[in-house]
Amino acid sequence: MKNLISLVIIILITISNVLGQQQIQIVDEESQSPIPGAHILDSTGEVISITDRDGTFKIEPNHQQIIITAVGYENRSISLDSSVHLIALRPAVFHQTTELLVVGNEDRNDVRSYQNQKPIQSMDRFLENIDGLSMTKRGAFGWEPVIRGQSDQRMNLVIDGMQVFKACVDKMDPITSYVEMNNLSRLKIDKSGAGVAENGTGNSTVNLITQKAGPERLTMDLSSGLRLPDNLRTIQMSGNVADKPGRNSIRFSGSYKKADDFEAGNNQTVENTQYEKFNLNLNYRHTFASNHSVELNYITDKAYDVGYPALLMDATKALADIGQLKFNFAPTSQHFRFKSVMLYANAIRHTMDDYERDVANRTVMRGMYMPMYGTTTTFGTKLAGSATVQSHSFDWFVDGFTSEAYGDMLMQSLDSSIEDMMIYNLDEVRTNNVGIGFRHRFNLSDSVLLKIEENLRYKSLNTLSETHQSFFEGLYDRELSARQRILPSVSGNLLWMIDDRWSTGASVVYSERMGNHMELFGHYIYNYTDGYFYDGNPWLKTERSINTDFNITKESGNQSFSLSLFYKQYFNYIDGILSDDLSNNDFRFKRYANVGDAVLMGGEFRSIHTLSRSFRLENRFSYTYAQNQTLDEPLPLIPPLRGFSTLHFHAGTFRVMTDLEWAARQERIAQISSNEDATNAYAVVNISVEKGWADDSIQTVLQMNNITNEFYHTHTSIGNIYEAGRSMMLSVRVKI
Amino acid sequence: MRLSISMGRMMAMAALVLAVASCNTNNSNSELDLIPVNSVTVQEYTVSLFAEKEPETGFNMLYWQIEKDGDRIEPQQFSITPMMDMGEMMHSTPYTEPQTAEEDDRYLKNMVVFIMPGGAMGSWSVPFEIRTQDDQLITGELPINVDSSWKLTSVRSESDKIYFITWYSPQNPVSGNNELAFMVHTRESMMSFPPVSDAELLVYPYMDMGGGSGHSTDFTNPVATGNGMYEGDINYSMSGVWTTSVELTVNGETLPEVVFEYSVQAK
Repeated sequence: MKNLISLVIIILITISNVLGQQQIQIVDEESQSPIPGAHILDSTGEVISITDRDGTFKIEPNHQQIIITAVGYENRSISLDSSVHLIALRPAVFHQTTELLVVGNEDRNDVRSYQNQKPIQSMDRFLENIDGLSMTKRGAFGWEPVIRGQSDQRMNLVIDGMQVFKACVDKMDPITSYVEMNNLSRLKIDKSGAGVAENGTGNSTVNLITQKAGPERLTMDLSSGLRLPDNLRTIQMSGNVADKPGRNSIRFSGSYKKADDFEAGNNQTVENTQYEKFNLNLNYRHTFASNHSVELNYITDKAYDVGYPALLMDATKALADIGQLKFNFAPTSQHFRFKSVMLYANAIRHTMDDYERDVANRTVMRGMYMPMYGTTTTFGTKLAGSATVQSHSFDWFVDGFTSEAYGDMLMQSLDSSIEDMMIYNLDEVRTNNVGIGFRHRFNLSDSVLLKIEENLRYKSLNTLSETHQSFFEGLYDRELSARQRILPSVSGNLLWMIDDRWSTGASVVYSERMGNHMELFGHYIYNYTDGYFYDGNPWLKTERSINTDFNITKESGNQSFSLSLFYKQYFNYIDGILSDDLSNNDFRFKRYANVGDAVLMGGEFRSIHTLSRSFRLENRFSYTYAQNQTLDEPLPLIPPLRGFSTLHFHAGTFRVMTDLEWAARQERIAQISSNEDATNAYAVVNISVEKGWADDSIQTVLQMNNITNEFYHTHTSIGNIYEAGRSMMLSVRVKI
Repeated sequence: MRLSISMGRMMAMAALVLAVASCNTNNSNSELDLIPVNSVTVQEYTVSLFAEKEPETGFNMLYWQIEKDGDRIEPQQFSITPMMDMGEMMHSTPYTEPQTAEEDDRYLKNMVVFIMPGGAMGSWSVPFEIRTQDDQLITGELPINVDSSWKLTSVRSESDKIYFITWYSPQNPVSGNNELAFMVHTRESMMSFPPVSDAELLVYPYMDMGGGSGHSTDFTNPVATGNGMYEGDINYSMSGVWTTSVELTVNGETLPEVVFEYSVQAK
């Protein structure tokens, strides 16, 4: 009887304990699919539970702080209360092998992330400091990002996932110029292009993720700065307003910049490097009671009087309007789930001329003015979700857009007896694209994760202009119809978490690329890198590539490093070939063609050493070797071995950051396909001193760049335009 | 007197305009866009001349319509002989006899290459003969004005034989690909201008952009296709003023280069 009573008491206690436990499900933040096998740790690091097949675990209510770890996801620490039933983990594992998270305003500090230390810093400078990225420059404004030697058509550059096409046929308006740093939430950089399910192409990808409205009732951030000697004046403002429950919120940001010509290291003014720019972003978010939410985002960017010393002309007006409507679905446990549906539209207009230039004495297009105008208009949609089929969960993505491009150039001779001439560089050139992609994750063991992604795209390009069409028909003596391709791409990623410090991974990406609208339908487009006028080729074959990527990372409290190596082989590489029949001393022509094979290989290294509580040393190196195997010469515009070393010091709200930015001499130059010359090595020192006041709500930053007044230019500076010499900028930031 | 002539001409032109308008309205299959040139009435037969443009030196397609008492008739035969009256001399020009127009059988059409403009040097007219279905022969003459154009040039051989090089197409050059065609005729007598079909043409398009610079564009050299016609392609890269030089080789003799200068439209 006594035993029976004891048994009943034990059973009752057990039942009461079980009934008193809290059940929580762990899901993937992106796909909302459950995460089995996740470890739940208490505050001391002891494993107290593991999630089951449905991603759920039970926990006693006395655990108020837990840490969740799972292979393939970032660790998450969370304070529990009775309302917590669902916890989402951010996929992070494959960022180690393929992606860099570049953080605009958050305070992250790990070997996979970069943070913008200087609030006034331009997007261009910010990107240039990331290893593996370089910038093709034409002056002080509108630098074009290059990932591992690949730019423009060989990389995806998107804003919040939206396709935005440049309107300038001379590439003066890279879309990075449309997102200001105070509006940047994160940069998602996929160097290998392994995220094919979402990027659709297998190309290296930079996604500029903008700041969104949050639940904060009222915040305000103001900053202003002045830089000498180029008189860069900046004023930036951002803020967030939300109602009390946080269901309706609005975020806004705006900036205005104006700069005069800068001075190079020899104290000589570099003419035509001035610019003026205005940017505004509005984001509205409404969260429904069902936890669905809808976002409305609008960016407008206006730049005026933008000088381009490397080019024949300057941009008088560069206008962008970018809109987005996005519906985010609340997490569900259904087998087929939508995560988000987005509709977007954007229009880019670019006007430039050379009325302020000495056109009578230049070597190219001498004796005439050449005002140019270009525009692109794009409409698109993106859908994302996840599904479970026979216990296999995967993410799916649908991407579709249609874009029309136009560009013309008027030529007005100084000789009044010569009639005006006009060229349609692009005329009613239409790009249509629709693709579907899938991402699968397989936990091969507790420490090994395999990710497979595939994408299938349909892409068509055509010109609706009869005259533009007839030009290509005449040039190639073929009848032209819409060019269409089915483009598959696939990637495989394998990650091995060796222990809690070491991880290694490898990826393979196969992708196919159809030439873009410039390569197929561009006409008489001047390439400033080699001085040739290019004509498109609608009959280009698909360019194929295989990229392999290897990464090893060690992360510990004081010493972290990451090493990435890559090898990319191109087949049917698209480039220009000479049109000798038309070329002369003044005008040299090329046509796009599949020129053979090309290879790129190299790597990046990054380390962070925490030397003490106040000092931290960060080193970054990157190198790319690129060879046109058919011509047996280097590919053009490939940066040399380059690096950054940064010593951080902080004591309370006082921070000092000293940068050493350097590059080796580049002698691997393209002389057949381009007319490059060698570039000398250089080293530049920058110092930034920050001080926070009034609980860090007021920050002052004194930034001194190129303090030794080094006279240099980068290898990727078109026309060898020299970089700015010594400059000093003082800025003030107020946070409310 | 002058007023009555002018009024008469105006009424004739008005009638022609109405005729063209009504013709175009009645035949929806016709894509012809013709303008009235002139008309003359002889023995109750009205001969009206239409063209796609005002007659000019070089190639012209002429469209004829014959009416009696306001009703269109189909004659047994209709022949013409374009003539230039220069006072001290007269001559004809390269032309073909009118045939029923395939694109619109209400017209008779023929080709003519006017080798000089009308004006102070002389005036053009087109004497004609109509043989009606009842075998009646009607003759008359239709004066026409011929403007000067860039579409005709001539070159002489060492033996002083003259060759007329006519720019056949494009009649209205636009950016992009255009059919490039020339006609070559020579003069055997004042009334005979036979086509030259065994010559070789070497052409070169060029745009002078000022400041001593310029460039060519993609083209295919014209080759003989018979009946004095030479056909190729020209792919204008831009609008503006272009020149196209033509070097003619006949019977092994390369003649001096001639140049056509003209304006290309953007669209």
